[in-house]
Amino acid sequence: MAYDPASLDAPFKALAAFDWGHDAAPLAAIDAAVIAAHGDAAARDDVEKRLAAILAPGPTRAAKEYACRKLSMIGTAACVPAVAGLLGDADNSHMARFALERIADPEAVAALRAALGAVSGPLKIGVMSSLASRRDAASVPAIAALLKADQATAVAAAKALGAIQSPEAAEALAGAAGAAGGPLAAAIADARFECAEALLRQNRRAEAAAIYKAVATAAAGKPESRLIELSATRGLVACADTLAAF
Amino acid sequence: MQRSSTTRRGFLRTSATAAGAAATAPYVITSKALGDATTPPASDRIVMGGIGIGNMGSGDQGAFLNRPDVQYVAVCDVRKEWRENGKNRADATYGNKDCAAVIDFRELLGRSDIDAVHIATPDHWHALMTIAACQAGKDVYLQKPETLTLREGPLMVAAARRYGRVVSGGSQRVLDDYHDIVDPCWSGELGTIKSLDIAVGGPSMPCYLPAEPTPPDIDWELWLGPAPWEPYNAGRCAGNYGTGGGSWRSYIDYSGGSLTDWGAHHFGGAIFAADLRELQPQSVTYHPATADGKAAAYVTLTYPNSVEIHHNRPGHLQTVPPSAVHGGAIKIVTDGQPKAGKPVPLYRTPDGSGQTNIYGDFIECVKQRARPFRDIELAVNTMTAPHMVGLAYRLQRSLQWDRATQQFVGDEEANRLVDRARREPWIL
Repeated sequence: MAYDPASLDAPFKALAAFDWGHDAAPLAAIDAAVIAAHGDAAARDDVEKRLAAILAPGPTRAAKEYACRKLSMIGTAACVPAVAGLLGDADNSHMARFALERIADPEAVAALRAALGAVSGPLKIGVMSSLASRRDAASVPAIAALLKADQATAVAAAKALGAIQSPEAAEALAGAAGAAGGPLAAAIADARFECAEALLRQNRRAEAAAIYKAVATAAAGKPESRLIELSATRGLVACADTLAAF
Repeated sequence: MQRSSTTRRGFLRTSATAAGAAATAPYVITSKALGDATTPPASDRIVMGGIGIGNMGSGDQGAFLNRPDVQYVAVCDVRKEWRENGKNRADATYGNKDCAAVIDFRELLGRSDIDAVHIATPDHWHALMTIAACQAGKDVYLQKPETLTLREGPLMVAAARRYGRVVSGGSQRVLDDYHDIVDPCWSGELGTIKSLDIAVGGPSMPCYLPAEPTPPDIDWELWLGPAPWEPYNAGRCAGNYGTGGGSWRSYIDYSGGSLTDWGAHHFGGAIFAADLRELQPQSVTYHPATADGKAAAYVTLTYPNSVEIHHNRPGHLQTVPPSAVHGGAIKIVTDGQPKAGKPVPLYRTPDGSGQTNIYGDFIECVKQRARPFRDIELAVNTMTAPHMVGLAYRLQRSLQWDRATQQFVGDEEANRLVDRARREPWIL
């Protein structure tokens, strides 16, 4: 279906006032426009601008949610400022990430990185989740610093570093392992396993084995860490080619 | 292989022995716990709990409760009614009041005495809960469809392997209901499979239902979990099996719709019959509706071995000559040249007979530390097919899939749909 901008004025007007329970028929035209914009730069720019405008003060939460869903499909750097403006808003932060996490342009991940230090509580965990999904190595120092935060934030930081899997992430996890206990210790061990598995996939067995051995050694003799120790041992077996080096 | 229950079992075994010697058993161990001719002693039973005890969860709970080698100790549900029903059912089975009933799955997973859990929540919880269960050292029986997004699958497989967990998918129909296509395909009598046609409903849709007052007997925040916040509406979270609206199975935040719900069975049965469970599609082709509107759009998956699966290809379930058919849902076309067959994989049993069901297969694999019939990796591969079909319909274009990178080739917009951001504080 060809993109027809004039036909979108009324649907976007309806969207601005849209709420759950309203007639969703106007949204179908926007849905179609998003699909039709594929491969049509001018159409994409137009529909992106219209969607980004919904994120300004005024339109409903439901409208903003809808706009973020569509921007997650076709958004570019152009919409990032509008979307990022919602990251600190408890009602809309998640849907802002819903869009930013998927926008490949570096501006999107930069906005998430900037928000990490500006938001708090669950929103900070959410931003870390999105940075982890993007495997953003540049955010490792900021995330690593959160390994010393409250337990929920620290556990999320460990999970994020495990997803990023960069050498710096692995190093930060190793550095925090000794002082951690309880759920954080388990999360750090799990994240270190993820780093080791990534190394194994790259056939960097000696480096992977070093992680597994360190985790196994730290867990040895602790009944609460028996599962971790077994998993580390399983990892060491997978690295068997390099066991002679130890 | 160590299980989380070892301490508990060791305790029970030691206690029973010591108690017997000291003639104090009646005070600490019931006769049920000690077992009889048909029931193993508690120390040899798999201790289980259930998360999501609604429709399918209730069925799963019943299947496990009926097993003498299972001791069912806890239920978890965000709905009070289902939680209490599940507890009462377990208590009635054992004649006690011991079954715990909790709202938050993390509380259940934190119990060191539980060996295994079954999970039958809406799909948006599957990956998070399964991975958390593996991290907690639990084996998992997970209702189908096992995944909601393509990214979740490999992470679930990795967690299962990392912690040495038995994780079984939950389509009881794949082995039980499709003998009419599975048996002739695996026997080789039909020859080499060329293509399959599957008729099943389409993808899920957005939910725009109005806000209703949230009832006091549901934890709405926990029901939504990682899904986008939206207001409570009974139809949004209803657990009925419909996919046309008024049920969570209808809506994109919680389900892949009929395409993945019944699709888990039909794609599962067809993919099993064609022995494609180790593979993932390499491409998905979108065929637009005809301009005259007489033929609807349909989608074709192509596997690395050139086998094609057509979803809802107009008219083709009725054409002849079908080589093997399953009702009006699946048709398999072969070259008609008989070839050497191979034995159909069966459920695991103590005697190797395979005469059990998917629940028995799971329990036996928990005991033997073996991979079940619908091992999570096979389930993830299977679910990749309907997920890719759904994305092709949504984007209305064809896509190439690179299994190694778990990315679509040359389509940045399609790759955006491999996963979705989870609502804080949930992190995969």
